[in-house]
Amino acid sequence: MQFNSTRQAMAWLHTWLGLILGFVLMVCFFFGALSVFDREIDRWSIPETRFDPQPMPSFDNMLMDVFSRIEPEENEYKRQMPRYHDSDAGPMTPRTELPADEYWAYTTHRDPVLRMGAGFRVPFPKDPESHNHIHGEITIDPRSGASVPDNHLKIGSEWFYPLHYSLNINWNFLGFFIVGIAGFFMLVALITGVWIHRKIFKEFFTFRRDKSKQRRILDMHNMTGVVALPFHFFFAFTGLIIFIAFYYMPVTNTMLQPLHNMHQALEAQQQGLPHERSGIDAPLGSVDAMVTEAKRRWASRDMAGEVGFLQIHHVGDANAYVSIYRAGSDRVSLVGEGIHFNGVTGDVLREDPPHGISESIAEFLTGLHLQHFEHWFLRWLYVIGGLLGCMCIATGFMFFVEKRKQQHANAGSQGSRIVDAFAVTTVTGMIVATIAMLLANRIIPGTTEGKGDIEKWVFCITWALMFIHAVVRSRPVASARSNPAWAAQCRLISVLSFIAVLANWLTTGDHLIKTLITDTYWAVAGVDLSLIASGIIAGVVAHRITALKPVRDTETGEVVYE
Amino acid sequence: MSDHSATLWLILASALTFKAMVLFSLSLKAHWKQVLSAVRNSTAGKPHSQRLKTCGWILLVLSGASCLRADHASMAVLVWILLISAAAFIVAMILAYRPSWLRLFALPIFVRR
Repeated sequence: MQFNSTRQAMAWLHTWLGLILGFVLMVCFFFGALSVFDREIDRWSIPETRFDPQPMPSFDNMLMDVFSRIEPEENEYKRQMPRYHDSDAGPMTPRTELPADEYWAYTTHRDPVLRMGAGFRVPFPKDPESHNHIHGEITIDPRSGASVPDNHLKIGSEWFYPLHYSLNINWNFLGFFIVGIAGFFMLVALITGVWIHRKIFKEFFTFRRDKSKQRRILDMHNMTGVVALPFHFFFAFTGLIIFIAFYYMPVTNTMLQPLHNMHQALEAQQQGLPHERSGIDAPLGSVDAMVTEAKRRWASRDMAGEVGFLQIHHVGDANAYVSIYRAGSDRVSLVGEGIHFNGVTGDVLREDPPHGISESIAEFLTGLHLQHFEHWFLRWLYVIGGLLGCMCIATGFMFFVEKRKQQHANAGSQGSRIVDAFAVTTVTGMIVATIAMLLANRIIPGTTEGKGDIEKWVFCITWALMFIHAVVRSRPVASARSNPAWAAQCRLISVLSFIAVLANWLTTGDHLIKTLITDTYWAVAGVDLSLIASGIIAGVVAHRITALKPVRDTETGEVVYE
Repeated sequence: MSDHSATLWLILASALTFKAMVLFSLSLKAHWKQVLSAVRNSTAGKPHSQRLKTCGWILLVLSGASCLRADHASMAVLVWILLISAAAFIVAMILAYRPSWLRLFALPIFVRR
């Protein structure tokens, strides 16, 4: 590759990296933007949980019982048990008889339901030194303690949210690594983008809609990229930071495992928190009393707050200890101000000290991305930032195609046709799949076996169909015209959005007049209103695209649109 | 800080950020012409870029201060930066579709004589 200038080299890098990884980044940005309201989407998709957020319920009166109901997850048992268990030492314990070693419960200011989990010990382990846990989870209604049925998928927090950092490809963590690479090159794309942009400040507000289509698209690409540049940069960067140990330093779980274990034991010893079980059975003291004491200590530090995370280690053992963390709803940094109690006596073992400057910066950066704070206005600003990112990436694809399609048409190349079909799939196809999933969620009866799995399939199959549709209708692009799939899929988004809102009304009785005025419930009203907004915008866009008439330029013979 | 007054401070911050972005855009000749030539029988004149920019910065600092009044500093920074992004995008869209709306911001003191 021969470049005449640095700028040209940067443009080359920006174009090709952007093209290849843009498809992944589009998923990250779009589902990241939806994840800002993942809990609210959960409420929409599981009508049984449409009630107000609840504080952590009483441990002694309710949670203890619920914990004892949790069972190890079947698939995890099948997969991990043979790995952990040493069959020479003793018989394999049946799944439901594994002894619990660890309990946790987690809630936020946006959660009506409470997520709880348990880690089960494996008797006769191959490696007694390591953390041989098999896990189980349960979600309950904290008002009654009743569990929310397992077949109900939390579409927001268990599908859209993991999609934005793992693409939901869990095989060998492949999806995580693809997103990691994409996030890294997002930073490269931002830097090269700024480099090749000639007039950042002069064209800061520029969108010349009276100019050629190619110019308009490039203007929009530049403008959405530049005005939200800090957002784009910080989200790519902090996303990488959150997974940094996972991406770049996995040695602590491989080569350096013994050192890692030793460090953990040493740290526990320094903190006065028992690292191992003692082997002596002992009953758990009153956790409610510990919660009261923790709240008192937070209040005395002028940080009064609710419990966000509660964890019990070495359940049923004399070495049991209870860690109580504060819900971080009033600041950006994710700080738990953890207080640790002796599980049997209830004495305070340790209070996490205030963090140093580097830890504080790290907490701010991860907190900025994970947003546990309570600030609705900022949440919406995050959505706007995310959608500006999506616009930037989408117009990037469009510009790639627009710039080349005439040359490709003249040369008989299929290049822009293929890129355009992929662009249709990742831009409109992704939205169709998302809304189709929400619609399926409302249509499939709640009692259906494996309801969540069907919803996942609806999502994947719809998306695949949109890809096929985009490819089948892509022929005009080969002669430098537009793919009619853009407008068709926009129309589909529009229709599906309105049907989804209607389906929500019919299946739950929650229409907008109720959720907005008579019995206000913002989580559901917000999802409905967003669907209606998407429906209107997609409808207008479809109408506008269809109204564009291709005109052959009489002088150059190129196809232009008016 | 009560929720109510925090909301008011955030509304103020939004208005100030928007206005700051409008002034920054007017300090650019192309946008100045766009805004003023959309009105019939008016001579666009030239923008007093220095004044527009100075006023824009003052408003931006004030909007930052309003954010600080509403929230903990760490959160205020995020609100402020994202407000700037959102306001800049809105101004760009108004410039493209309804430039005459911004005419009332082109005060006489911003015209270079």
